[in-house]
Amino acid sequence: MRPKYLNLEIMMKPRSVAIIGASQNPDKIGHIILQNYVDSGFSGKIYPVNINSQEPILGLKTYKKISDIKASIDLAVIAIPAAAVPEVVEECGMARVKSLIVVSGGFAEIGDTDLQEKLVQAAEKYSIPLLGPNCLGVMDPRSRIDTLFLPTFKLDKPKIGSVSFATQSGAVGSTVLDVISHEGFGMARFISYGNAAVIDEVDVLNYLMHDKYTKVIVFYIEGIKRGKEFVEVARKVTLIKPVVIIKGGVTEEGSKAVQSHTASLAGSYQTYEAIFKQYGFTIANDLDELLYYAKIFDTQPLTTGNRIAIITNGGGTGVLATDALYQNGLKVANLSKKSQVELRKAMPSIVNIRIPLDMAGDADDKRFTAALDTLSKDDNVDAMMVIALFQTPGADSRVAASLIHYNTQMSKPFVVISPGGSYTEVHRNMMESSGVPVYSSPFVAAKALSALIEYARYKQALGKHGKNKS
Amino acid sequence: MGELLDYIAAYKIMKKYKINAAPADYVSSVQDAIKFAAGKTIVLKVISKKALHKSKCGVVRLNLSKPEEIKSAYAFLKNRAGKLKLKPYKILAQHMAKDGTEVIIGGKTDSQFGKLVLIGLGGIYVEVFKDVALRLCPLRRYDAQAMIDQLKSKDIVAPNPPTEKMLSNVLMKVSKMLQKEDISEFDLNPIIINNNKYIAVDLRFIMA
Repeated sequence: MRPKYLNLEIMMKPRSVAIIGASQNPDKIGHIILQNYVDSGFSGKIYPVNINSQEPILGLKTYKKISDIKASIDLAVIAIPAAAVPEVVEECGMARVKSLIVVSGGFAEIGDTDLQEKLVQAAEKYSIPLLGPNCLGVMDPRSRIDTLFLPTFKLDKPKIGSVSFATQSGAVGSTVLDVISHEGFGMARFISYGNAAVIDEVDVLNYLMHDKYTKVIVFYIEGIKRGKEFVEVARKVTLIKPVVIIKGGVTEEGSKAVQSHTASLAGSYQTYEAIFKQYGFTIANDLDELLYYAKIFDTQPLTTGNRIAIITNGGGTGVLATDALYQNGLKVANLSKKSQVELRKAMPSIVNIRIPLDMAGDADDKRFTAALDTLSKDDNVDAMMVIALFQTPGADSRVAASLIHYNTQMSKPFVVISPGGSYTEVHRNMMESSGVPVYSSPFVAAKALSALIEYARYKQALGKHGKNKS
Repeated sequence: MGELLDYIAAYKIMKKYKINAAPADYVSSVQDAIKFAAGKTIVLKVISKKALHKSKCGVVRLNLSKPEEIKSAYAFLKNRAGKLKLKPYKILAQHMAKDGTEVIIGGKTDSQFGKLVLIGLGGIYVEVFKDVALRLCPLRRYDAQAMIDQLKSKDIVAPNPPTEKMLSNVLMKVSKMLQKEDISEFDLNPIIINNNKYIAVDLRFIMA
């Protein structure tokens, strides 16, 4: 039998899609899904299916039943009332549909486990890979597939890239999708798997681990059904690529009768947290953190060293950044003799040659460039933290351009801190869309760097060449 | 929920995996206890399913070396066990460990993921500070080290590299024991660490 995770591939790149529950009524989910397929420029065949009316929808011939379509169907998206779903799955099985996404809700999430069980049985009878129910389905900017029932004008859609996002919750999924698109991330795959009745978190993680387009996996998880299988995948995946994870349902429900200290200290969340830590996942505590981490992993190389060079055009922010480093287990780099000599020549006499390097409020792109040029070559520096305050007289688009240039040149991790209003935002967008991770405070930038280093150390210790394999 | 394993049976499992525990035996008379002590300092405690938290119930007597101390402690415990209606119970004599840092090492079974090992600052403060680290079995050497590194109280629990190494070895042995034996939960609390040596002075094993 084919490994189950491979079956996600057909949903990501179908040549033909049937939308069951497609409707004339623009308010219906089935209509929005169809509309999105048409709008996104999907190049495969689209077949609307509606049991009640066979009037053409959006100019497409509409079928009464899936079996009426005399062509091979790679994916059927099902958006009809829950009670009718198991029978339709059965019909899709008989019609040899290759994969299914059940968008409809009204199954185990509202307590109807019997109905969900019927759905699972139907899918298993025909060995059809099934995503959902109660999910948004998938999005893939490369193949232009988008099963989300969210109107395009309400949600920014991401460009092509290498971050993949898997989520149990559709609501978290669409919010994060909107935010990351807005922040200029590129996306590889989006998978909302809902109730995980057939394809579950283990399959999704396994699929993304093998997926060549996915460089960073971002995961929102509420529960894990197959714990042991999950661990098997977890220990492999982080040796290949980083996984940023956020777990919903952190607080412990009531105290249970336990017989040992150990059992009372090791509750359900503690167990999840321990396993994520053990296998090198990066744990995010909220959605903001999820994005901070995803951003640095997406754009920056790894380093195991924690000596950070801070350069700034604002003294106070440099002090805050120094605090933030030490609060996150990092430290300021000691400059080499050579760097000190070079910087002394390049900087005006008011600039103290030490880290944080405060280049003063009138620092322009030449000063930034000189500092970056020297520090990027200093072996005592593992990563760069650049504070570029665009409120200052010296900082303008040329500074942003210089930072963009060094971000692409440098083999060391590079983060920029630029808090501010609309003038700053213009430059932030410039930098972000060129792959510079920009943060709004030294603290979050330090946290992101710290997560990057922690992951790099894990990978080094346990990877192929690690000493700690046993 | 599983059965609490007899103390001496638990002690024997520990021995099998070469995990140090204070030598102990049941005694059924004052003479037995004096003979067990053989001039060393001992502890006497009541073992009963009705008194899982022995020190909270006041059924532990520490620091006994002279025959008259042992005699009066023995009488005290019999009396106390009677008052608390702890029957059936036994009295356990155990070599007394020197003072030191108290650490907890334990294990539990999670229905989803399987067996987990825990380490933390132990003794009576374990539930207060909850400074513990947890990992899934089987532990890799890296995991054992990471657990110790993760503790906020690392400088107390493992103040020097030899102690760190020793504790990481204990964690590896514990992981093996938990995997191979039919244990569902256990506490070694406290384990007393003194001068780069450790000894578990209380064992609580719950079998699957």
